[in-house]
Amino acid sequence: MSKTTRYSGDEMWKNNVEKIQNSELFTLTYGSVVSQLCRDFNNNYQEVNQQLDRMGYNIGMRLIEEFLAKTGAQRCQTFKETAEMISKVGFKIFLNIQPTVTNWTQDGKTFSLVLNENPLADFVELPMGPDNRICRDLWYSQVLCGVLRGALQMVQLDVDVWFVKDVLRGDDQTELRLRLNKFLKDEVPAGED
Amino acid sequence: MSNDNIIYPSVHSFSNLSLSDSSRTGFGYNPYKGPSSNAITPETSNILINKKTVSLTPTSFDSIYDRNILKKVPEISLSSFSFLFCEIVNWTRNNSKGIQDLEQRLNTLGYQIGQRFLELVKTRERIKYSKREIKILEILQFIHGAFWKSIFGKTANELEKSQDIENEYMIIDDIPLVSKFISVPKDYGNLSCSAFTAGIIEGALDSACFPATVTAHSVPKEGLPLRTVFLIKFDESLYTRENLRFN
Amino acid sequence: MKVYSCLILNKAGGLIYQNNVNPGLNSLSSNDFLVLAGTLHGVHAIASKIKPIPSQAKDDIGVTNTHNTNTNLIATGKSQNANSNQSGLQTIETDFFNLYIFQTLTGLKFVIVTSPNPVVHNLQPMNDFKSISRGELQKQYDSTVKLFRQLYLLFSDFVMKDPFYSLDMPVKSSLFDMRVKELLV
Repeated sequence: MSKTTRYSGDEMWKNNVEKIQNSELFTLTYGSVVSQLCRDFNNNYQEVNQQLDRMGYNIGMRLIEEFLAKTGAQRCQTFKETAEMISKVGFKIFLNIQPTVTNWTQDGKTFSLVLNENPLADFVELPMGPDNRICRDLWYSQVLCGVLRGALQMVQLDVDVWFVKDVLRGDDQTELRLRLNKFLKDEVPAGED
Repeated sequence: MSNDNIIYPSVHSFSNLSLSDSSRTGFGYNPYKGPSSNAITPETSNILINKKTVSLTPTSFDSIYDRNILKKVPEISLSSFSFLFCEIVNWTRNNSKGIQDLEQRLNTLGYQIGQRFLELVKTRERIKYSKREIKILEILQFIHGAFWKSIFGKTANELEKSQDIENEYMIIDDIPLVSKFISVPKDYGNLSCSAFTAGIIEGALDSACFPATVTAHSVPKEGLPLRTVFLIKFDESLYTRENLRFN
Repeated sequence: MKVYSCLILNKAGGLIYQNNVNPGLNSLSSNDFLVLAGTLHGVHAIASKIKPIPSQAKDDIGVTNTHNTNTNLIATGKSQNANSNQSGLQTIETDFFNLYIFQTLTGLKFVIVTSPNPVVHNLQPMNDFKSISRGELQKQYDSTVKLFRQLYLLFSDFVMKDPFYSLDMPVKSSLFDMRVKELLV
């Protein structure tokens, strides 16, 4: 299975995704937003995180439609399948990366995505102040958490998503966790079987 | 972080900079004053000596300063950018007081990108051509050509000079990337989300010392509903400069 | 096959988009369309309940089908059919028009009203009659699958990426209108 899935999203990336030749516009645009938020919230990084999460949530609720339209993915039968779908197909077609799915909890309801590359944070370094507060408080790529939460919500999965590590803070890797709270069975559209 | 530690530019935009401006922190090059704006006086040297510094020595092997800036940049999905931009407009719209304010905010966001992109494109290009644009027409051709291409993957469509007004130029993009999927409702009047791109151009021009004000206007044509004109108004002083130098 | 009209319904059955792309249908008032949308939504849902009591074996097949779709997708990266309308109302065929319903995993419904199935003359021998009419029907159905995919993609481009659109509300995007016309006219 792992052998066949390794390059799975490539086909879709090659044929079905309209691309910008240069990811820098995307990276710099996101950077411009984060720095603007830091100014808006007077460097209260908790509030910046929250706002990024909200923005991500709004994006996720819309982005899921394109994901479904492009891929034709059907409802996943297990959360493990959802995890594969997110990393091998979702991240691939939107960010051209494939994070590693790992660190499952025993109950199969929480896992980690480890990002080896992060187009949002390319050539980004957090400014170091005397108290280093920004490295302690800011989750620079928090928007991703919101996107995943919003997108999964639209397919009736209530999840929590949060960062536990970020190389920008000096951690050894960038890792975010997803926890399935509830499958909103009552909200599944009629006619799906 | 207290406000004193942040070095703000002395004015909002270079185009508003004048001879009498000096930065709050006592530092910052003012192109209108020339080198004297950065001169070291007893006063400034005192600030310098007592200034807290940040170490720029790479702290890890993976420092961004060690990375190759000429490496081929990966591609990204247009959708990802479009979704991000969609949310940016949404967020900005919720915070703004009106159409003009909204455009101003989008412009500001773009401005910071233009400043950086200019550096980036120039750093990469300089190694090839080792020249710098010093005439208005040259810088316009650069923005319309190489600069546009490296950001949007294609050059802009037309570059025109206003026949009626001396210091106005126009760059025209038939299908602007940032607003490709956006339909502005009628009650938003002549709002153009390309104000963001206008900001990028303005940031780049200002940083290249061609102070200008750039605005975006939607001017649809048959078959090109999104055609956008970027109106570039250079600062008067530039013409004085150009006349002195080249006439 | 000619497409007369195209409707989009939100999750709650509210009509968020309607476009008479080709003339030929009696014109309905906007209120009629709202009623049509609500009715289809209801009938679609109740239809999914009218079905034989599922035997264990059948259920298993259902599960493997969606699972297979996803496994294929993950393994090959090839697009699958995004229609998740398995047991609800899928088509209405009459002598005057056909109506097809496509549903997304998020609960949106795309509905198109088309010209009826091609007329098959009674003069033809029975055997031919069967094969031709089945072939034609299948063709018409297949082309709606493609249309729905395109429509859904247009929707995710020109509606979802438009900051002036609020989720679940009526679609006013002029670009979307334009593209839908290009696709269906």
